[in-house]
Amino acid sequence: MKASDVATLDGVETVQPDYENRDILAGYASDLLSDVMAHAPEGCLLITIQAHGNTVSVASLAGAAGVMICNRRPIPDDMIAAARAERLPLFRTARNQFEMSCLLGGLLSARE
Amino acid sequence: MKADWHVHSCLSPCASLDMSPDRIAREAAARGLDMVALTDHNSARNAPAFAACCRRHGVLPLFGLEAVTSEECHVLALFDNLAAAAEMDAWVSAALPPVPLDAERFGDQPVVDEHGVILEQIEILLLSATGRSLEETGRRTRELGGLFIPSHIDRPSFSIESQIGFLPPGPYDALEVSPAHAGAYRTRYPDHPVIVSSDAHVPEAIGSAFFDLAADGPAVSELRAALRQRRLRIHT
Repeated sequence: MKASDVATLDGVETVQPDYENRDILAGYASDLLSDVMAHAPEGCLLITIQAHGNTVSVASLAGAAGVMICNRRPIPDDMIAAARAERLPLFRTARNQFEMSCLLGGLLSARE
Repeated sequence: MKADWHVHSCLSPCASLDMSPDRIAREAAARGLDMVALTDHNSARNAPAFAACCRRHGVLPLFGLEAVTSEECHVLALFDNLAAAAEMDAWVSAALPPVPLDAERFGDQPVVDEHGVILEQIEILLLSATGRSLEETGRRTRELGGLFIPSHIDRPSFSIESQIGFLPPGPYDALEVSPAHAGAYRTRYPDHPVIVSSDAHVPEAIGSAFFDLAADGPAVSELRAALRQRRLRIHT
């Protein structure tokens, strides 16, 4: 599935629409950026509540294909600007990390 | 004394390269600050230059760093002497993961001398979380004779409240909060002194928040006593 497919999911808001439409190969749910940096797989959708600019830097460094902010947390302008500069899709949902992970996991396994 | 205990120099990748130790001391003096703490992320390597610059501009220095604990809480460790700051730096550095600096993405990390001449660039990313927990970092700071102050605890990222959700017991000399929340946090945590500081990353921000501390001198023991006795007033 592509990043643009995530954008069409029910209850998912695209916060930063100017992105490179990469394949979503996996999900990675974590709220510790050091853990993301060390373990997030290339091409993952990062599922997190850490809504700030450093999350974008770390997601890019880890090769993530997109970032999903959970619990409809407010997203500051500097995070949106950083995602735009990296051409990284930034999404938001009211779901929590578990619910979003389950949804993405179901979609990814259905396509295998 | 008017004090701003949270200022980043050019060594912090997220800070402006205009934040040389000389510029910080000069701006602090111009703004009437009596005491400034240098608190780069996970490093005190610009502290020696800062000592010389503060002497030059008549400002009292504290030497320290803003450690990133394993929980990704930012905490200030502040010392009144360079030797202790260097020991803390070594302890923190030894626990930094070997993530190479991506300067394009995060910014440069130059160690400079008192004239702003670059001595070296730190090649390991200083923004990473160390392997040291909040509890260990507090203990080590106090062992080395420093003040231990969790940073901006009211912020939604990299703070004790965002990462842990509550304030665990610890050897806190004070809690740093954003100026707008100082009153509310004094009520919420009556057992701890509450301070504000600028967390300046650009020259214009130095002293944008500070507090007045009626301390008998710049030694950590005097500062701690003044904090404990709440001889402080907050300015925003």
